[in-house]
Amino acid sequence: MQELVVNGVTRQTGLPGRTPLLAYLRNDLELNGPKYGCGLAECGSCTVLVDGVAARACVLTLADVQGRAIVTLEGLAPGSQMHPVQAAFIKEAGAQCGYCLNGMIMTAVALLNEKPEPDDAEIREALRYNLCRCGAHIEIFNSVKRAIADMRS
Amino acid sequence: MNDLQDYGKSRSDLIDRDGTLAIVRAADGSDVVAADAERLDLFVLVDAAGSITAFHGHVDMGTGIRTALAQIVAEELDVAFSRVRMVLGDTSVTPDFGPTIASETIQVTSAPLRRAAAQARIYLVAMAAERLGVKAEDLVVHDGLVGFRAGDNRSISYGELLEGERIRLALADHVETKPVADYKIVGQSQPRVDLDAKASGGLVYVHDMRVPGMLHGRVVRPPYGGIDAGDFVGTSLISVDESSIAHVQGLVALVIEGDFIGIVAEREEQAEEAMRCLRAEWKPHPAMADLRDLEAALMANPSTSRLLLDKGDVDAALASARTRITRNYVWPYQLHGSIGPSAALAQFENGRVRVWSGTQNPVPMRADLALLLGIPESVVDVVRMEAAGCYGRNGADDVTADAALLSRAVGKPVRVQLTRDQEHVWEPKGAAQLMSVDGGIDEGGDVTAYDFSCRYPSNAAPSLALLLTGRVSNKAAVIQMGDRTAIGPYEYANHRVVCHDMAPIARAAWLRGVSAMPNTFAHESFIDEAAFVAGVDPVEYRLRYLKDPRASELVRQLAQRADWEPHTTPRMERDENGVLHGRGFAYALYVHSKFPGYGAAWSAWVADVAVDPSTGDVSVTKVTVGQDSGLMINPDGVKHQIHGNVIQSVSRVTREEVTFSEIGVTSRDWGGYPLLTMPEMPSIDVMMVPRPNEDPLGVGESASVPSAAAIANAIYDATGVRFRELPFTPDRILKGLREAGVATAPEPAPLAPPAARSRPKKPWLIPLAAAAFGAIGSLGVQTLPIRSAISPIARPDASLYSAQTIARGQALAKLGACFTCHTVDDGIPLAGGRAIETPFGNVFSTNITPDVATGIGGWSFEAFARAMREGVHQDGKHLYPAFPYTSFARTSDSDLHALYAFLMAQRAVAQANKGNELRFPFSMRPLMALWNTMFHKATTFAADPARSTLWNRGAYLVEGLGHCSACHSPRNALGAEETGQFHLAGGMVDGWAAPALNARSRAPIAWDEKAFYDYLRTGFSPAHGAAAGPMGPVVAELKDLPDDDIRAMAHYLASLNSQTVPSTDTAAAIAKFDAQAATRARMPASYAGARIFDGACAVCHEQGRGPMLFGVKPSLAVNTAVHADEADTLVRVILEGIRVPGLGELGVMPSFQHHLDDAQIAELATYIRARFAPDRAAWADLSGTIGKIRARPSLDSARARADH
Repeated sequence: MQELVVNGVTRQTGLPGRTPLLAYLRNDLELNGPKYGCGLAECGSCTVLVDGVAARACVLTLADVQGRAIVTLEGLAPGSQMHPVQAAFIKEAGAQCGYCLNGMIMTAVALLNEKPEPDDAEIREALRYNLCRCGAHIEIFNSVKRAIADMRS
Repeated sequence: MNDLQDYGKSRSDLIDRDGTLAIVRAADGSDVVAADAERLDLFVLVDAAGSITAFHGHVDMGTGIRTALAQIVAEELDVAFSRVRMVLGDTSVTPDFGPTIASETIQVTSAPLRRAAAQARIYLVAMAAERLGVKAEDLVVHDGLVGFRAGDNRSISYGELLEGERIRLALADHVETKPVADYKIVGQSQPRVDLDAKASGGLVYVHDMRVPGMLHGRVVRPPYGGIDAGDFVGTSLISVDESSIAHVQGLVALVIEGDFIGIVAEREEQAEEAMRCLRAEWKPHPAMADLRDLEAALMANPSTSRLLLDKGDVDAALASARTRITRNYVWPYQLHGSIGPSAALAQFENGRVRVWSGTQNPVPMRADLALLLGIPESVVDVVRMEAAGCYGRNGADDVTADAALLSRAVGKPVRVQLTRDQEHVWEPKGAAQLMSVDGGIDEGGDVTAYDFSCRYPSNAAPSLALLLTGRVSNKAAVIQMGDRTAIGPYEYANHRVVCHDMAPIARAAWLRGVSAMPNTFAHESFIDEAAFVAGVDPVEYRLRYLKDPRASELVRQLAQRADWEPHTTPRMERDENGVLHGRGFAYALYVHSKFPGYGAAWSAWVADVAVDPSTGDVSVTKVTVGQDSGLMINPDGVKHQIHGNVIQSVSRVTREEVTFSEIGVTSRDWGGYPLLTMPEMPSIDVMMVPRPNEDPLGVGESASVPSAAAIANAIYDATGVRFRELPFTPDRILKGLREAGVATAPEPAPLAPPAARSRPKKPWLIPLAAAAFGAIGSLGVQTLPIRSAISPIARPDASLYSAQTIARGQALAKLGACFTCHTVDDGIPLAGGRAIETPFGNVFSTNITPDVATGIGGWSFEAFARAMREGVHQDGKHLYPAFPYTSFARTSDSDLHALYAFLMAQRAVAQANKGNELRFPFSMRPLMALWNTMFHKATTFAADPARSTLWNRGAYLVEGLGHCSACHSPRNALGAEETGQFHLAGGMVDGWAAPALNARSRAPIAWDEKAFYDYLRTGFSPAHGAAAGPMGPVVAELKDLPDDDIRAMAHYLASLNSQTVPSTDTAAAIAKFDAQAATRARMPASYAGARIFDGACAVCHEQGRGPMLFGVKPSLAVNTAVHADEADTLVRVILEGIRVPGLGELGVMPSFQHHLDDAQIAELATYIRARFAPDRAAWADLSGTIGKIRARPSLDSARARADH
């Protein structure tokens, strides 16, 4: 039996282990945060946290994350609250169309969990493989900088 | 519910109710009060609750117009910004403003909305004046509260005024809007209204729309990828093999009409599986024009010329010019490249169809759907929801039509999601373009003639479903779209402009800066070149011909802002690292829409670049960009648009081009079409010219338009070399620099010929083997010994065995991979039936559950042990050595007893065995007796007293039940393992190369004990890579083996490599290889391979780059497959990916079989080999290897999907 924890809730999926994690999160749990972008782990739109580490849900199956804890954009902060990284992206307008936003936020959260004070080059490097077509890179970078400052204070 | 605009309302729902004031318009000019609400255009609605809803037919494609339009409405109505809600692009309620194109939402179509809001305010103030018995002039509005300018505290709100009222006002043609000086909201930066929902997973995007009972759809597109004109379009499907998807669970419908194929299933992954499995037969279609040489293809495409401007006497001026500058400029096909592949949802209900769509064009979309479905437009509702940014037309319209067809077919709501490859291949591309300039310069350095022409293979790109079902003609339509900004900004005395309109080559539509970006590339490159010919600074030279005062002012201000230093020759400034630096200028007024069109915002660039003359790498380090946007509704929004345009256009100019084969588009993922990444973003200094008293101008595209020329001009300043074809990729730049003698890198040496392999693995010599068997056969089969049956017994009582024994037996069964071979995908464990491929045909594993009739329930231990050691069935028949009894024979009695106990304790399953599919004479089992005499010794393991206990234990496990040699030893012509120095010297299994485990290993870091231990225990060794193919399940099964046994196996295996010196610091050794590989990232053996690697592979394999991701990050610099003699394993991994059930912590590698074609994989493998295994010879005949492997997917690719 496939079992995993999603945003703090233990789920018996009742689904075959080969079921794509992204399909389960989006279609069965009706979570909008993780987005389908490429299905190849190239663009990062689908990013979730698996045991606190950024993971590209589009290539994982339920079997791959059996027994693990998944956090999606919706689970970053309790209830209607915002995680400081989410709040920073809103304040700095770190998105244009926003389709990549989930991946940017989740990857930034994972980065700051691992390293609360990354330097500029480390921020850019961590987001290298999160693609944004609109060219919101400057605002995205500024959002992460603001999140670091906000979380420090 | 939609967080941004609640759908499902009609106009009547909104305005036929008390407490409302609606500003509306009747299309025919009739009385709006008497009119049917549904026939009115609705602009602004104020209700008794004091909230304002405004309606606009355009859509927000990520540029923030939802926010800017709300600012305009709030301003004119004198209400707080937060009271205004915008409904965009919902055909049920919004007015028709045509498609959202050409940056015209603010510049053009916001005007009626502004008038409507002002009209509502004026009317409400008049109502208040009447109620209060005063003159309107005495009143003033603050946030919807009408009060006195002075001296009276009474006030009345909009809501109170509308209590019980139901007012419809016809939108007036002339309304006095507010003077700019009074603006409080417009002109102030306003945070975007959509980001809260987007940052928290709210319902905003069409991708997230769900309705009860929704099914999932996928489409299967035709093989003529990305081509939409020609007789074959819509007429090529011959047949579909329904049996190819019969196995897919949850299938609801297969819908076929013309060349349209759709699949509906209960779950999304089921629809996806069916899409990938469906076999369809298509007619061959003619090869397309060779788009690898765009200039020739565009020149050859038939065209009709259209004269746009003919001033003075160009021919005479050219004839008398002192210097002629005759140039061609080439622009590639480019992708809109939406990060989210398009999706849509359609629902048929009560005679109406409603679609939720990411379309740019809700009203034309509605017409398309009516045509497609043969129904009136009046029963079609298009609800536009937000989608991934596209900057033109992507696959959103196509998928909307797909969803409508599928929903109608099944009578239920269907959501259709395009895949990444479908979006890449079929989105209507930004068109390629060829610009030709013939310019004349006189003695004084003046441009006396400018003869410009462009070739634009345009396309109306009809919705695919309309084309594929034959509803609309597949004949190429020529539309006039190459003329945007074709007339450049400079006033030349003799000036001719011709646009060659032509039919499409690849499917195309408009993309940001349509035809204006390419045309400007030519105009601005030319004038730069002319300036240097004239010996005049390029900025000064531009000003000579620029007669538009706002343009001149922008150019001057920007030059000052950027500290432009006038110069008349390229400066070619070289830094201490040998990198060349330069600056380039370009200017454009983006003139768009139907010729002659009109201008959006003015824009100019100063680009700073760094060019590495040893590699050809171009880095845009800084862009100083100036823009005159007129009145800026939302200055921050304008700034963000400028940033976005700069970054996107730097990406387009320096790296983006769609690639084609003779069949069609080959850019099918981000490997095939890489985008600029975060570390590559330039710094940007934005200069916005304040013009609050001028009309607001479109800002969505202007800042892209000067990009290409500014960068090309900067490269010229840095290198003295002109580049006239995009994109400015390292290979193109290096080639140009070499031709000009500027490159500092030597010409690449020809690739070394592949070295002869130390010992080519013998192919299975089937004819020889057959001859051998034939010879044996002629001796007379009857003379061969027949083994006797061992009497069947009643099934042993498993309770006789201790739990401990059974547990030990289980671990041994896992070591022996009993489950792996004796279980089919999704099948009953140990019940057999899995095909084992051999060169002699397929052998099927048998049922080894304790069922008496079909399994081994009737086998005594004696029979079991004989099978394990001698390869003889209980009934006396010989077994084939696909069952590795040659290894199992070494197993001790005690372990065989435990294994027997375990098997007998399993659930008995009645499942008949399949017959083998071996070719004659291999199908003759008795021949195996002779084979056994030749190749098999049924002796148990004998410990080597000279070796340690640990070594002997390891040898026992590896050579016995572990049967490593079954895969890792080469086999002779008769299928027997080779011995001696070739024992464990590498073999082939299921089409995978099993690497050598002995001294013949090609691994750059020798496999030592720790590496073997890590690999067998976890499936991954940082010094070698991850378990792939058939090795994955082996490692997964070894999980049950005690740690001591894994250590013993590792110890023994390491001893086989006599050269192995235990690594003192493996991490340092890996780091050294990685560091060396990093230096070879530039000057790749294949540029195409390098691009694919960067876009597709680097995220998980480029050491020291990117984020930390779940799973391992295997280094290719030490990877065994990358260093192998044959490319087979690497190619197979690329095609099939790696997924090892039970080893989820390693992460997974996706399959690229649908995204990279054979040529791309060959380029990629060439790149990987040369970069990561530089001391190994290049692989020969990669295309042969790839073709062979693609044609024969390994068993494992199916097994990997098995449910564990």
